Amino acid sequence: MMRTYFDDFNADFTCKNCGRYVSARTAVSGVVNRNHCPYCLHSRHVDLFEAGDRLCACKGVMAPVGLTVKRSRDKYARGLQGELMLVHRCQTCGGLSINRIAADDDSIRILESLSQCPENLLEQSQIHEIQILTNADIALVESRLYGTQVLAA
Amino acid sequence: MQTQTTDTIAYGVVYKKNLSQYHVHTNDQVILCSLSAKLWKDFEYSGGKGGRKKRVTNTRDKHMDPVAIGDRVRYQPAGDDTGMILEVLPRQNKLTRQSAKPMPGAHAFEQVIAANLDQVVPVFAAANPEPRWHMLDRYLVAAEHHRLPVRIAITKMDLIQNTPAESDLLEAVERYRRIGYPVTLTSSQQMMGLEELRDILLEKTSVLVGKSGVGKTSLLNAIEPGLGLRVQTVNQTTGKGRHTTTHLEMFPLAAGGAIIDTPGVREFGLIGLTPEDVAECFPEMRPFLGQCHFGHSCNHEEEPGCAIRQAVMDGAISPYRYKSYLRLKVDL
Repeated sequence: MMRTYFDDFNADFTCKNCGRYVSARTAVSGVVNRNHCPYCLHSRHVDLFEAGDRLCACKGVMAPVGLTVKRSRDKYARGLQGELMLVHRCQTCGGLSINRIAADDDSIRILESLSQCPENLLEQSQIHEIQILTNADIALVESRLYGTQVLAA
Repeated sequence: MQTQTTDTIAYGVVYKKNLSQYHVHTNDQVILCSLSAKLWKDFEYSGGKGGRKKRVTNTRDKHMDPVAIGDRVRYQPAGDDTGMILEVLPRQNKLTRQSAKPMPGAHAFEQVIAANLDQVVPVFAAANPEPRWHMLDRYLVAAEHHRLPVRIAITKMDLIQNTPAESDLLEAVERYRRIGYPVTLTSSQQMMGLEELRDILLEKTSVLVGKSGVGKTSLLNAIEPGLGLRVQTVNQTTGKGRHTTTHLEMFPLAAGGAIIDTPGVREFGLIGLTPEDVAECFPEMRPFLGQCHFGHSCNHEEEPGCAIRQAVMDGAISPYRYKSYLRLKVDL
């Protein structure tokens, strides 16, 4: 079904964590699927099997707990070449999910989530086959967030 | 059917109706009956939200009908296989839906599909048209609301044999079987599951409901070969049915019992239900009702400590059914 202006408008939400109003309109947010707050990066646990299915009954607040890179479909890809993704963990049921970073997300918060990664997350992420980035990968994260040319300048 | 005849007053069951003529079956004959003016005058129907009773006041309301298929009626025979219905005897139960609204914003009213039923048989096609499980949930809720037993029939199983769609369908079927709804997999082409369905329909009054093109009439033809009812294939371009059956009719089965064939419906609106009642119509949710943190005041949506949501998380309730429940509440 074609998305309309009003669909975008109806998807606006108030963040469950920081209480700020977040617009989901593509023209305002710069992303097609706004799934977390750009200010505090918190999300909600609403999807169960796949993104957008809205089948999860938990509906708990999901906190940003780490960063990862999306698995590349390129079989010749080496190392951490995929897109930088945010790892969310549900504060109610502990479920993990990965989400795309939007252009207007607070980059300072993103870097904070790299350093404030909980200890038990690594064990949990191995079960879900998510490769969590650590402080050793800060150069990679900064280059993805700000670009290599900006960093070099 | 229990029928009896006296000199001036007789009793029978309505099997068919068209153009203000009602086919009333008595012991061995069919009487063509009209409706008495008094019955029209006294007829009340529930319209709008809250089930407020209304009377037929003008010609616009004349599409309402005080008599439904399956109704037991008292009529006055005229002596030449015709008569006049004087009274509709109290119904044991009924299956209803919300009528289509004549214009946006208009009040919908209750449309009785059939009365005095033993069971409802929602019919869905395995493919062509694709099964829509939310629609099935609507039928199930309507039947549960009227305390009617349900037997689900899946037709056209031959179309998905040995395909990935078959495993998806069986998974969905298992979901309903776990709740306690019996599901019969059938194919009129391969004569599959027909014996099982005949046993289910035996000595019972059943109604077949489902969208156009799912194969309700084909199934009926396969169960009772002598009927020879008209059927058509679905439109190959749109994948939708062609609304071949256009009227409600009850057919007596040779082995005993009767079955009501209905025209396919595009939408099945629920009427007489409030959002608070919907959870009661989901059998798997009943054990958890009242156990929420806010007791019976819980909406089972966002409230902390909701037992229903916890049951979905624990796997006791299917997430698909829970989503269906939320959608139904929004539509009411």
